[in-house]
Amino acid sequence: MASLSLENVCKVYPNGYQAVQNFNMEIADKEFIIFVGPSGCGKSTTLRMIAGLEDISSGTFKIDGKVMNDVEPKDRDIAMVFQNYALYPHMTVYDNMAFGLKLRKVPKDEIDKAVKEAARILDLTHLLDRKPKALSGGQRQRVAMGRAIVRNPKVFLMDEPLSNLDAKLRVQMRTEIAKLHQRLGTTIIYVTHDQTEAMTLGSRIVVMKDGIVQQIDSPQNLYDKPCNLFVAGFMGSPQMNFVDATARVAGGKAYLDVEGQSIELPADKAKAIIDGNYNGKKVTFGIRPENIIEVKGNKEVPYSFESKVNVYELLGAEVFLYFDLGSANITARVEPTTKVRPGDTVKYTFDTKKIHIFDKETEKTIAN
Amino acid sequence: MVSSQVIRGCLEQLRAITRIEFCVLDPAGNMVAQTEGVAAPDIHMVTGFAQSAIDSQIVGSSYYLKVTDDEELAFILIAQGNYEYTFMIAKVAVGELENLIVAYKEKFDRNNFFQNLLLDNLLLVDIHNRSKKLHIANSVRRAIMVFEIEAESEPIAAEMLSGLFTVQNGDYLTEVDENSVILIKALEEQEGYDTLEEVAKTAVDMLNMEAMVKVRSAYGTIVDELKDLSRSYKEAKMAMDVGRIFYAGKRVISYNELGIGRLIYQLPPSLCRMFIQEIFGSDELIEFDHEILTTIDTFFENNLNVSETARQLFVHRNTLVYRIEKLQKSTGLDIRTFEDAMTLKIALMVSAYMRELDRR
Repeated sequence: MASLSLENVCKVYPNGYQAVQNFNMEIADKEFIIFVGPSGCGKSTTLRMIAGLEDISSGTFKIDGKVMNDVEPKDRDIAMVFQNYALYPHMTVYDNMAFGLKLRKVPKDEIDKAVKEAARILDLTHLLDRKPKALSGGQRQRVAMGRAIVRNPKVFLMDEPLSNLDAKLRVQMRTEIAKLHQRLGTTIIYVTHDQTEAMTLGSRIVVMKDGIVQQIDSPQNLYDKPCNLFVAGFMGSPQMNFVDATARVAGGKAYLDVEGQSIELPADKAKAIIDGNYNGKKVTFGIRPENIIEVKGNKEVPYSFESKVNVYELLGAEVFLYFDLGSANITARVEPTTKVRPGDTVKYTFDTKKIHIFDKETEKTIAN
Repeated sequence: MVSSQVIRGCLEQLRAITRIEFCVLDPAGNMVAQTEGVAAPDIHMVTGFAQSAIDSQIVGSSYYLKVTDDEELAFILIAQGNYEYTFMIAKVAVGELENLIVAYKEKFDRNNFFQNLLLDNLLLVDIHNRSKKLHIANSVRRAIMVFEIEAESEPIAAEMLSGLFTVQNGDYLTEVDENSVILIKALEEQEGYDTLEEVAKTAVDMLNMEAMVKVRSAYGTIVDELKDLSRSYKEAKMAMDVGRIFYAGKRVISYNELGIGRLIYQLPPSLCRMFIQEIFGSDELIEFDHEILTTIDTFFENNLNVSETARQLFVHRNTLVYRIEKLQKSTGLDIRTFEDAMTLKIALMVSAYMRELDRR
């Protein structure tokens, strides 16, 4: 069982390039932590620093209170599962899982126990005598995980372990990993650029960009209360819609002026606009696709917009409509019963309580 | 020569199946390997048997047999067991050991051949003759991949690589120095640099995961004949060196993608110094702080786009412009123009190269 602590951890390469800046985080025992962000954001580098495969340029990394900066990877009691794995082609599943332990001169009976236990956990017992070529993609991936499990580590580090699998298998393996975490009860740190994986697996998510941590929070909080425009845009699929707007304060109330319409803001959001002196300033207004409401018939609403639908996508349980609002491209998630089709004009309004407002200059959140 | 550990492994396996105890001695009577329950043999009996012309001898419940290598006596095998099949099993064991000796000799010869080939120590005619003798096909597409592994953990890493790349697939692993393992990778007709990149990444990830070692890999160009393998090896070595200087964050480096780094690496140090002197007015290597280096890198990555760079750096546009102008004051280079941006980029790479030269 292990808790991890990263204090001002930085990675600077010899050419001066700063890959990770001041990474601070406390990870409790048994947590499932996700590092997410676009490629080059420093998530894998941070994971590799935790593994000991990259030197920490400055800062302190601890496991269970013990400083690990200069401890060799093999002595950190961690196991890793990375994106590119290969099974030894001429060995059976059993030998594939046992090989690493054999090379480390672990006694035979201990190896046998560890391999059989890992096989049980991963539901591979009936495949132990098979060679890799006789396995499916998912089974191979499970064997790769088995090689990590047999070490019985305190911490698992996984770097995009599913990215080489096809979409269907990835969904299946995602569930397997969630189950595995429950069965093993160990701390897992998981790197991905796929925000669906991040949302479904993590107990907490670390969103990174350009080597800087943007936000560390639960999946729900990241979705509902992003701290800046980047996090708001990165989490959620389809992503949040962003529209340029002007904040206006009048009579103790605050409004967003968007494409000739005035949206009156609820009290909490209005307070943030007033307190932040945003009156008359340009802001970015964000709304998630599911918070755009189609106005049917002659229903009275405080404000509404009309746009010509460019694309209609039926996904069975829901429909995505794509249209323009001024210069912004908008995606709306509506009921599958909608009668709107490409070329039709759709009338819509926003769920004002769910509006997000961002500073145009700093891109930080003004109100969620 | 086949190691005593390997012989012992072979004897242990035979004992586990047959319950017969074995030991192997050299012709002088020195113990090479034995199973746990074997009774100590009489050395005089062993040496006497070694010098005799007979192939086998029975002494009580012990069977003495000769193991030969190219008709020369290599070992004496003693099998102990009161079973009617003891002699037959002893003959099987002799066959096993003789096969092992041949396999190891061939492996050693191949290793020696490839090492000399990579280091350009063979004449063209020797390459032809020895490859034929060792059953190594000449006209096969191959490339050299070098794995630079932390010295301390190198044996375990080499064993893992040998589990991954087998002779049966036409691949071969060898070593020419302490810190690196060399893979001679055979490629199918349809396989190219994408395959090499994938193989290298997989091997690096495997070594990270399984051996838990820091490892970097570099590979040279694909060649069609054995005689050109040394060129691919030199390219892979250069890619490793150039990558260490200019692409420190990359774990897999291809010779083909070294770009301007390869050019700078081949410049004489005096020319580099002259260039730095001309650009910065001093041959002292310029040191930028992390903030300005990150700014420069991000600005170059964004194709000199001020707005995008400011956005990515989470700074105000004016702050970025201020930093660029500050850099212009200290270097005389306005990196908002292509010419100056290119000059600074090259100057930074030359500086990195010179630092590496100084470090060496």
